Amino acid sequence: MDSSSRPGWIFVLQLASIAWMWIFVLGISYWIIHLNRLSRQLHDVPSATVGISLVAIPVFWTVGLVLTYVFVGLRRGGSGDGAGEADTREDRP
Amino acid sequence: MKNATNDNAASAYADQELLRSVEQSGAGFRVASTLLLLVLLAGWLLFSRQLLYGMGVTGLNQPVVWGFYIVNFVFFIGISHAGTLISAILRLSNAEWRRPITRMAEVITVVVLAIGGFHPVLDLGRPDRMLNIFTAGRLQSPLLWDVSSITAYFMASTVYLYIPMIPDIALLRDRGTWPHWFYTFLAWGWQGTPRQRKVLDRAVGIMMVLVIPVAISVHTVISYIFAMTLQPGWHSTIFGPYFVVGAIFSGIAALLVVMIVLRRIYHLERYLKQVHFDHLSKLLLVMSLLWFYFTFSEYLTAFFGHEPTEMRVFFHKFLGPYAIFFWGMVACNFLIPVGILSFRRTRTIPGILVASCAVVVGMWLERLNIVVPSLANPRLPYPTGFYFPSLVEWAMFAGGIATFILGFVVFARFFPLISIWEIREGREHSIPETTERLQGYLPDPEPGGTPVSAGR
Repeated sequence: MDSSSRPGWIFVLQLASIAWMWIFVLGISYWIIHLNRLSRQLHDVPSATVGISLVAIPVFWTVGLVLTYVFVGLRRGGSGDGAGEADTREDRP
Repeated sequence: MKNATNDNAASAYADQELLRSVEQSGAGFRVASTLLLLVLLAGWLLFSRQLLYGMGVTGLNQPVVWGFYIVNFVFFIGISHAGTLISAILRLSNAEWRRPITRMAEVITVVVLAIGGFHPVLDLGRPDRMLNIFTAGRLQSPLLWDVSSITAYFMASTVYLYIPMIPDIALLRDRGTWPHWFYTFLAWGWQGTPRQRKVLDRAVGIMMVLVIPVAISVHTVISYIFAMTLQPGWHSTIFGPYFVVGAIFSGIAALLVVMIVLRRIYHLERYLKQVHFDHLSKLLLVMSLLWFYFTFSEYLTAFFGHEPTEMRVFFHKFLGPYAIFFWGMVACNFLIPVGILSFRRTRTIPGILVASCAVVVGMWLERLNIVVPSLANPRLPYPTGFYFPSLVEWAMFAGGIATFILGFVVFARFFPLISIWEIREGREHSIPETTERLQGYLPDPEPGGTPVSAGR
């Protein structure tokens, strides 16, 4: 593994992991909305469907946003490229 | 870059023991993981019979259509509460003794959630039909609420485990630990700058608040699978909190077992001290009393109602074929832990291990007592059912336990089991912070008053 090429492809891998996480979050949200519409078509009990949708979707979005905030924040908050260039010995967040 | 790396590596010497499992894993890791994989493989080989011949190879029949798979599903998901919930509550309440415990607790959550969440798939005669929930699921069914809540909990727990690990992952990256690219990928450029610390602090703060209601909702929703039906023994209003209490109870017990075993294997005696076990075992004792209170209330109400269908289930458990499991549950969940943990003389680490193992077994028996007797004595006019698990079900149970241990073995191979940065933070910052906090709890001195010591 070439050391100089490592940050480049790792960065792409990191971006891909964020993208994958958002595909998951959006997929779950779409699925719950789909089930909600299905329940209306089938005249199911509306309270449960609305309740689950209201609770579950924001939870997934919050987790997704927190993870994105961490990834973006850590990239922007570093003093340089990052990998292996620790400028401090404190590992305390 | 090299100097910085060396500096960072040098700072880890103080906690070298915590990195031993990552940097010096040898034959032990390979032997343990091979054996566990063999157990898992044996389970899957036997399970292939179920795929080929259908549910007939299990002990399930009419009217007992749920058995080991659902018992283990509820049991494993219950244990998952150890982790994130305990860790989040201890973090939120600034309990300083949490530091060596939180990561193990969080790992338990993620591993057992993955195992438990998979069990309903095993219970399907046609696992491929699981895909139907994506196209034709009905949100009015509590089963689907479970799918949503467990998925949300799994995602939140994984993120809650991962985010506080970033500084330790960066430490491994800077030490050049193999596989270096893996740690570089997961560290996200962590350098420990003030801005990065602020970002991570904020994210951990949000996650620890978010994860508590999600964890509680998961086990409440699991109880709804039972309580929303009209089966005798299940249709109870206290099932939600009863399940949550049971989940936290079994979670603490599992955490204690894991801590004691890992302390021995990885020589973590300097980090996991008697005081940690003492605090957690007192929590276990409180949960044991609370569990008994809920159990007593549940069965007393059923007995006083004396409804014929309820009483069939009641006597099936108290005096019938399930009496051995019911009274075994009471002994394991109440008599043994209370007998051991109430006295300082017996509240030693071996004593705590015995009590915790008893609770883990007892809580599994509780899940069995909830699931099977009610199905064996339904409200509809069926003859009393009988259930005995088949070899396939036992094999998958063994596979589940092997996966749990394997999860820890693999985790310990790649990551420190105790949070290094939290330990360091504790050493460097906690004493002044705790002193300041303690002073904040005490009454303010009267303006212009004489200090108490001077008055004396």
